[in-house]
Amino acid sequence: MRLTLAKASLVRHRSRTILAVLGVAIAAAMLLDMVMLASGMRESFRDLLMSRGFEIRLAPKWTLPFDTDATIADVAGVTEALRANPDIEAISPVMGASIHIPVGSRNVSSPMLGIDPSVQGDYEMVAGADLTRPDAIVANDYLLEQLGASVGDTLLVATGYDPQTRGYTGQRRLVVTGRARFIYGAAAQPGSAVRRETLEGMVEPEKRNRASLFMLRLREGAGTEEVRTWIAGELPKVSVISIASAIEVVDRRLSYFRQLALILGAVSLFVGFLLVTTLMTVSVNERAGEIAVMRAIGVSRAHVVQQIVLEGIAISLAGAVVGLALGLATARYLNTILSAFPGLPVAIDFFLFQPRSAWSALGLLIASGIGAGIFPAWRAASLPIAESLRREAIA
Amino acid sequence: MIVTLAAFLSVILLQQDSTTPLRTVAVDEAFAERAHLNVGDRLAIARRPGSEASDADSVVVGAIFRRGADPSEVARGDFKVRLHLDQLQQISGYGDRVDRFAIATTDSADIARAIERINAQAFGFRAHRSRDIAVETSRTFLVVSRFHRAIGVITIVASSVFLLCIMVLKVDERRRDIAALRLMGISRSSVAQSIVIEAALVAVLGSALGVLLGWLASLYVNAHYQEIYRTPLEFSIITGPIVAFAVSLSLVLGIAAGLAASLRLVRTPPLTLFGR
Repeated sequence: MRLTLAKASLVRHRSRTILAVLGVAIAAAMLLDMVMLASGMRESFRDLLMSRGFEIRLAPKWTLPFDTDATIADVAGVTEALRANPDIEAISPVMGASIHIPVGSRNVSSPMLGIDPSVQGDYEMVAGADLTRPDAIVANDYLLEQLGASVGDTLLVATGYDPQTRGYTGQRRLVVTGRARFIYGAAAQPGSAVRRETLEGMVEPEKRNRASLFMLRLREGAGTEEVRTWIAGELPKVSVISIASAIEVVDRRLSYFRQLALILGAVSLFVGFLLVTTLMTVSVNERAGEIAVMRAIGVSRAHVVQQIVLEGIAISLAGAVVGLALGLATARYLNTILSAFPGLPVAIDFFLFQPRSAWSALGLLIASGIGAGIFPAWRAASLPIAESLRREAIA
Repeated sequence: MIVTLAAFLSVILLQQDSTTPLRTVAVDEAFAERAHLNVGDRLAIARRPGSEASDADSVVVGAIFRRGADPSEVARGDFKVRLHLDQLQQISGYGDRVDRFAIATTDSADIARAIERINAQAFGFRAHRSRDIAVETSRTFLVVSRFHRAIGVITIVASSVFLLCIMVLKVDERRRDIAALRLMGISRSSVAQSIVIEAALVAVLGSALGVLLGWLASLYVNAHYQEIYRTPLEFSIITGPIVAFAVSLSLVLGIAAGLAASLRLVRTPPLTLFGR
């Protein structure tokens, strides 16, 4: 009965209802986008860091991985110290360097990682073979495209280049054995990797036995924080970064987007609320006579309140359904814009759809729909019956 | 001509005596605050983190400076220390090398021609216009700017629907008044015009309120993010053209919404509006 009356009332003013649903849909789309933005970046970053199962990273003291040129000395000593902890399952030291490859009269530069292929967590092979030989190099598609090279080609790779003399240092012939996708690589960014000992052989003696980063995989059930505290005590010259602390840093650096999401989400919710409240208030004013008649023939106050609140919820729900589709489309577009951030790993999504986000947005909308219906419903239920009927009769 | 050299340095606060006068460095105020540094404090500066004090150069804090507004440094959270060039070259092992030369030109200089001449004679380096470098280093801000524009478009669409909805409701509420006006002989165009004028007034009043709210929000946004990122950069600027655009757009939307709502009503016969 209540549902039928609510439906009849909404259908009676079709264009007005459609406009209100459209307005709520846009507000819902914005709200969904902002809920996705507020949590998506963090979740996406967490997934990226956890994608290869390395829970802890060691960087030179006071730095973040690859944020500076600083390196950690004595790889062998650090590895041995870490092996003393039974909770650490795998240790992957990574050395970073810039390489220069002459192509005709051009010089193509790229970052290169020196890794141990048996425990590396930086890339996934796309085609060809991994670094099984000392003279092997794997590269991403972007670098191969820049070089005009493919799997099987031999490259003359240098770790030093003097643009004034156009001289190369630390040169070595390496064979491209495979194509790889670098997990932390940005779009349109070259990437390559060789075995760590190969890279050490190409750099100056003082840069050998050093690592830019250590990645540690823990045994199942090991406490990350306990291991982190233990490493901090054992190796005071390194920064120990867990996924939680890395996310904290990213959160701090990109706090702007979280705050923007919070503000715009709140504004969207308020606009949706205001729209439904206005519509329901006008609707109640228009139907004052009708409501008075209902009350006069014995319809209870609760019944009137429920009917008005139901109308508000119906508009919010219909708007939420349309808004979900609209929100997903706009989130995709906005994500494309933000993915152009310089140096941002391709795998990072600012707008990550999670069922939890959709449910949160829907829950907020329904709550706002109920809230929006309460004031007009209260007005409708408190209408003086006799006076409203008299006014209606005169009109 | 200014010559700069950047290198990663580790700075260790030291308590030591020295009979030879120490050279000075300038540290940025965020670093001074974090490390509790004051002018006159002695520091040991080394090339690599974790170096022993004996491997480091001793310097004294000669000045604490406030960093300039550089978009490329926003959100990085790193610190800056300025050294005398020769000392930095020696500590970093660069020798007689620098990362870049900054060249100031006279007011009347033809910059494009100067760049062309330098590039024609240079060997191993290239000259760039500062403006081009600024564009490159502020790519992050360009992305944020595109994002803001997209959000702005969504907001405009949402406002349009909201405004149209409100106008339809307002006009619908006055069906009987309008019916009475029409029955008294007031023309359709007069009724429509009065509704459009009303909508335009609402839009102008709303946009004036919006400009005030925007200005207050802008003050808050600037204060908040300047504090967070420790930069004098202005994150939100309200200019005359922006205000003019916002008010004009609001006016156009208001008139369009008023027109749509009034046309819907004046096309309905007055007696139908009365519910007869």
